[in-house]
Amino acid sequence: MTDVNRSPEPAAAAKPKQVLTSGVKQIWCPGCGDFGVQAGINKALSDLGISKENVVIVSGIGCSSAMPHPFSTFGVHSLHGRLLPVAAGLKLANDDLTVIGTGGDGDGYGIGVGHLIHNARRNVNITYIIMNNEIYGLTTGQASPTSLFGAKTKSTPFGSIENPENPVGIALAAGATYVARAFSGDPMHMAEMIKGGIQHRGFSMIDVFSPCVTFNNVNTYDWFRQRVYKLESVGHDPTNISSAMEKSIETEKTNWEKVPIGLFYRIERPDYAQLDMTLRKGSLLKQPMPTKQQVNEILDEYK
Amino acid sequence: MTSISIRIAGAHGDGVESSGALIIKVAARIGLHVVAYRGYGSIIRGGHCWYQVRIGDSQLRSYGEGIDILIAINQDAIENQKSHLNDKAVVIYDPSKVKVDSLDAGKYKLVPIPLLDIAVAASGDPIMRNTVALGAALKFIGIDIAVFNDVLKGQFGRKGDNVVAQNIKAATGGYNYMGVQTLYTLKGDGKHRYALDGNTALSVGAYAAGCKFYSAYPMTPASSILHWFASHEDKGVMPKQVEDEIAAINMAIGASSAGVRAMCGTSGGGFSLMVEGLGLAGMLETPLVVVESQRSGPSTGVPTKTEQGDILFVMHASQGEFPRIVVAPRSIDESFKLTADAFNLADKYQLPVIVMMDLYLSEHVETVEGFDVDGVSIDRGKIVTENADGGRFKRYLITDDGVSPRAFPGSKGLEFVAGSDEHNELGDLVTDMYAGLDWAIDVRSKMHSKRMRKIETMLKNEKIFVPEVLNDGADYFLVTFGSTTGPALDAIDILKSKGKNFGLISFNYLMPLDKEKTKNMLQGKKLINVEGNYTGQLAQMIRMNTGIEITKSILKYDGEAFTAEGIANEAIALTNK
Repeated sequence: MTDVNRSPEPAAAAKPKQVLTSGVKQIWCPGCGDFGVQAGINKALSDLGISKENVVIVSGIGCSSAMPHPFSTFGVHSLHGRLLPVAAGLKLANDDLTVIGTGGDGDGYGIGVGHLIHNARRNVNITYIIMNNEIYGLTTGQASPTSLFGAKTKSTPFGSIENPENPVGIALAAGATYVARAFSGDPMHMAEMIKGGIQHRGFSMIDVFSPCVTFNNVNTYDWFRQRVYKLESVGHDPTNISSAMEKSIETEKTNWEKVPIGLFYRIERPDYAQLDMTLRKGSLLKQPMPTKQQVNEILDEYK
Repeated sequence: MTSISIRIAGAHGDGVESSGALIIKVAARIGLHVVAYRGYGSIIRGGHCWYQVRIGDSQLRSYGEGIDILIAINQDAIENQKSHLNDKAVVIYDPSKVKVDSLDAGKYKLVPIPLLDIAVAASGDPIMRNTVALGAALKFIGIDIAVFNDVLKGQFGRKGDNVVAQNIKAATGGYNYMGVQTLYTLKGDGKHRYALDGNTALSVGAYAAGCKFYSAYPMTPASSILHWFASHEDKGVMPKQVEDEIAAINMAIGASSAGVRAMCGTSGGGFSLMVEGLGLAGMLETPLVVVESQRSGPSTGVPTKTEQGDILFVMHASQGEFPRIVVAPRSIDESFKLTADAFNLADKYQLPVIVMMDLYLSEHVETVEGFDVDGVSIDRGKIVTENADGGRFKRYLITDDGVSPRAFPGSKGLEFVAGSDEHNELGDLVTDMYAGLDWAIDVRSKMHSKRMRKIETMLKNEKIFVPEVLNDGADYFLVTFGSTTGPALDAIDILKSKGKNFGLISFNYLMPLDKEKTKNMLQGKKLINVEGNYTGQLAQMIRMNTGIEITKSILKYDGEAFTAEGIANEAIALTNK
């Protein structure tokens, strides 16, 4: 199950003006799709001119969750499946930060899928990038929630008998206000999707096909290249939730012959901080500590 | 000292709880002392519930064994409560709804009052029957109706003068009803005291300490903390109800990482879900306050009843080792103070602090003289805002005291990645591709001992990690932690009146423990541990830390709170053996 369709590192294609590097070496296998995502995030941040001290990259656990380390920004490498609550906590506490969640399909669509649904519906202003390789890589090749029906993996040697999750459909149903999909083999397009997600005020999800060159010899770069097409090229209206839903099930309807990438849906809606009584007064971090008088006034409620 | 216990009993939805709250307000207003506790089930309407308000003319620390005045709202109240009635107890009831045939008329003072008729005459609304009964109860304990009228004005003023007038009319109807007389005299000292429960005191303590963020999933008996934060959102705090307790703790960790003082809270079942997150706070060295209010377990257990069965679990929860502080407030007053202190400890030592409550402490109401608001200071610990040396910031700098400099996102030049994997001083992982390399083994060992060294630092700097000894020369000592301490103190008074010389050794910090000092305090004394669990978890903890084995125990795991009388009776039985 190795060395199939190994492509040159796509990272080179998305060269940023400013390289946000800590000098830490990334752990990924040569040719891993995640390199392209790293380059895409770097390019998006660089193009948008966001200062590195105001960026926090939050990850879960898995190959793709090693994302924050090579960056010279702030980062939290948290628990498996829990990057979204950590990221939401950071953003709710300090609205001035640009918070980017990065993780894999096992992390975000498996163990942590509940947090995807709830942070989407609460529309916290964070950008969540899922490197979806349809396999568990770091644990050496078990079926993931997006493994195709019939996928032969270490945990499903006779073929998976479960249907793959539809993450785009889930995000739409949960109320995400920016839902896009990208492909590591097209890093310029991916950088645009990420950039759009960061610029969007609200919960942005970008599902990225990011091939695992070691443990998934089916969903390869070439496999995706033969199937993906851009929603922008077919006149898809990203303000129309019904069309977006329709497009999200196209993979299933065509048995993965036609795989749309691009912006499925975007809607302007107040984000959590704009609606929250406390956060409307400003960033939680900047709000003053209570005075003794304020504490005593509250205690007087109990007299 | 005189004390009277009034218990109002009925069905859920009968206004039992709000009636209890009114009695508490009346007593607290005129300088009487109160301990109040309620019994209820996981049901919104129907079933059986009660609220007992013990009122005394000096400080009370337990809710009282028997009932002196019973307000029976329905028939169940008579049948379920008759075994708790003290001799000569007053029983107030409406004869059109409740029969008292099962009570011995010679033993009790039965007081039939047409509660519903008086309520309807006063307001047209039968719901005011409780107010009629409360008016009568207050006459029996010699409290002026004018005080009750003032409380009713405060309570219903927002609903308009008419509602206030109706309530006062209903209350007066009960107060002046024939046969209602003053049997007891409770004189307050005129000092208007605070009256609140443990969760409220804890919440105000957190607020005073500058806690801005509270995340939780609803769970009895911690839910009222979430309600407190939600109802005080206009005061600059942020309540966050989330999808589960896993999200609660991880969101609080995120908020704390951003530099905000953050807390999450739950009961044992929710804490089970939080355990992995607790370890994350330990590894990232993120300050965090977690409330665990215990209820009867295991599993769903008895959701509305109290227990102290989680302390060993909480002290050892999570894989691996990391320093933590476990604090168990012993009173309402300490629920405020020790929660406020928890935030400083969390910040100074960059670790999780778990505040152990239990349903009894969380929910029972006491009058409190005052709170040491001026004594609340805010110490954020080793925070840096500038990079003094240039180069990459060493968030996990290896220091003698084990505490490293901490920076918040937004601080230029102090960027770092906090990792749940083992890491070096910069936060770079030494796992994945470096696991097993000589230098990585060395870093792991140094970083683990750096974190663990914080325990020695805390024990050296803080003088709090020892129990408190009361009445040092006593023949026997009750050994308690948390909420059991109050009833034990009252029990010691009862024991004294019976010629038994008892002292108390009580713990408010369970972890870490100054082993040597604790051992010296306990050694050579005759000890009886009093705790709300089956296995004597406090005694196990003491033995583990000091080698001292306690052989006599008073244990309770029926879901009810300890009473002073109960402890005293068992203590006598144990020491007469």
